[in-house]
Amino acid sequence: MLEIGDQAPAFSLPRLDGRALRLGEGKHHLVVFLEADCPTCRLTIPYLNRLAATLAEHSDAIIGISQDDDRQTAELVEQMQISFPVVMDSDLKISREYDPVAVPTLFLIDARGKIIRTQTAFDKQELNDIARLMCEAFDLTPVDIADPYDGAPSSKPGCMSRHLETLTADDAPEALNLYATRAARASRIELDDAADVYEYLMQYDPLPVVPPTIERVERMLAATSFPADEVIARVPPNYGAATVEKIAANAVMAGCKPEMMSVLVPLMRAACDERFNLHGVQATTHFAAPLVIVNGPVRNRLGFACAGNVMSNIARANSSLGRALQLILTNIGGARPGEIDMSTLGNPGKFSYCIAENEEASPWEPLHVEMGLRRDQSAVTLFAAEPPRGVSEHNARRGETVLRAISRMLATSWTYRFCIGIEAIVLLCPEHVKTLDGDGFTKQSIREWLFHNTGIPKKEYRDDGEGTQYTQFYKEAIIEGEPCYLKFPDPSAIKIVVAGGTAGKFSAVISSWAAGPRGSQMVTYPV
Amino acid sequence: MPITLVNPFDETLHTRGSQASRLSSLEGKTVALLDISKPGGNIFLDRVEALLKERYRVERVIRAMKPTFTKPAPDAVIGKIIEAKADAVIEALAD
Repeated sequence: MLEIGDQAPAFSLPRLDGRALRLGEGKHHLVVFLEADCPTCRLTIPYLNRLAATLAEHSDAIIGISQDDDRQTAELVEQMQISFPVVMDSDLKISREYDPVAVPTLFLIDARGKIIRTQTAFDKQELNDIARLMCEAFDLTPVDIADPYDGAPSSKPGCMSRHLETLTADDAPEALNLYATRAARASRIELDDAADVYEYLMQYDPLPVVPPTIERVERMLAATSFPADEVIARVPPNYGAATVEKIAANAVMAGCKPEMMSVLVPLMRAACDERFNLHGVQATTHFAAPLVIVNGPVRNRLGFACAGNVMSNIARANSSLGRALQLILTNIGGARPGEIDMSTLGNPGKFSYCIAENEEASPWEPLHVEMGLRRDQSAVTLFAAEPPRGVSEHNARRGETVLRAISRMLATSWTYRFCIGIEAIVLLCPEHVKTLDGDGFTKQSIREWLFHNTGIPKKEYRDDGEGTQYTQFYKEAIIEGEPCYLKFPDPSAIKIVVAGGTAGKFSAVISSWAAGPRGSQMVTYPV
Repeated sequence: MPITLVNPFDETLHTRGSQASRLSSLEGKTVALLDISKPGGNIFLDRVEALLKERYRVERVIRAMKPTFTKPAPDAVIGKIIEAKADAVIEALAD
């Protein structure tokens, strides 16, 4: 890899519109090597967009070099709304010259063409330092582009740079290659009349499915522009290759319409994002199951239910997307109940667990906007979730009374006296939202109220048991005159989602598995 | 009529590892104890360490700990065990 002090090789590479972009001298440049399927690149891009906005008319000083083809690069640019120039190094010639060990790698190049700083993978401190240097180079006031408390990890390893991947026609395919972007086509299974097709298809997940015939799978594949053999993700814990064709076969089994492929591809990327820690989610003895939350225009386009009965058997879109995810996790990822999935009691969500936010019934920002996307974008969010637990409050006249009822349920998340390393979704029904909105509450002020008012009385800690061994890490507060430990370490541990029908004052709490960088983090991917 | 299906199951070719050779005795050996960082794991492993030395005359016990039980052991933790040339590893799995 080129180092500080090296002369940066000049290049001229095509942009998506075919025009060439040259790296010239005379001003500072930030050259960033990217891959479309690298979660760390996707994590980094919004921060680079922020830097581009700060640089304003100098935003073309950031040059993204995509190691993928036109189609993949165009999808990445569109989904991530990249606001700086991106060029394609499809034959990896420039990648070989710069030789980054991983992506993303950032090369900061001064006006004479000398490399003055490099950064591989994601690191907020490094991003802020680079942003400061870029701003100083253009006589702009330096800004921090990476907030330490924005919910993203402080650092994250990258993916192997495409030019170092070993899969070529001569390579032996036997070894599991976590970085190969193509895998063999699915085999064809012929079953004769005597065979029980359901016995075969339900061998790992015993709920009836639609047989994935060649014709049905072809209809799925026709609805996506991805090649059938492209590996979208390696699914933990067995790291099976979720090719587009394997995803399509499982989508057929789940009863998905072909257009659902546009949601399943980003959903699988999100599920296999290291931050979500699918390996742990799938293997734990806890109740955890991945909960899918759908936001944006795709809800109406594909018919996702977000109102009455949102968590049950109301819409084919919700049922089939949640079911397809579970089938892929079991059939491709290998987390089979009783084998690697050793959950003590399991979770009914492991059949299907997919909701959409009722954005129309909400006066507040939807979840995907809070997670950094635009309102007009569609998105899927994943949360390692327990089953929902209901909160009935039909007599409250004030927002605080509603929140007090919810705080009592939140207090029992994980287990009553355990107060660190957990998060929870509060699923607010429209009638409770009206009461809260009428009293001036926003999602942020709800989070803060629940944070400050959800506590466990210290007198509950007189004997030993789960949660009592960590009290030195808990925050203390007086709640309604009672000395308490606060249930959550921070207001951001409480996620607010609006869902449900307009009749009935029933909200719900959905608690997490082990949360945060040491467990599973909520991830949102654009559709 | 026979039916042809697209195989929906994992067909990734995984390489098989061979089992490590078994020890005929623990006497004079180095044993690594890997704590996966669940509560109470240290209590279990302290007792195992004492028994290994008293009852099986294990020469040396080294301790390693995963930063979190929710994820596979990172390379640095496995590297520590390999560097110590441990003959055997015992993992504390449960609370």
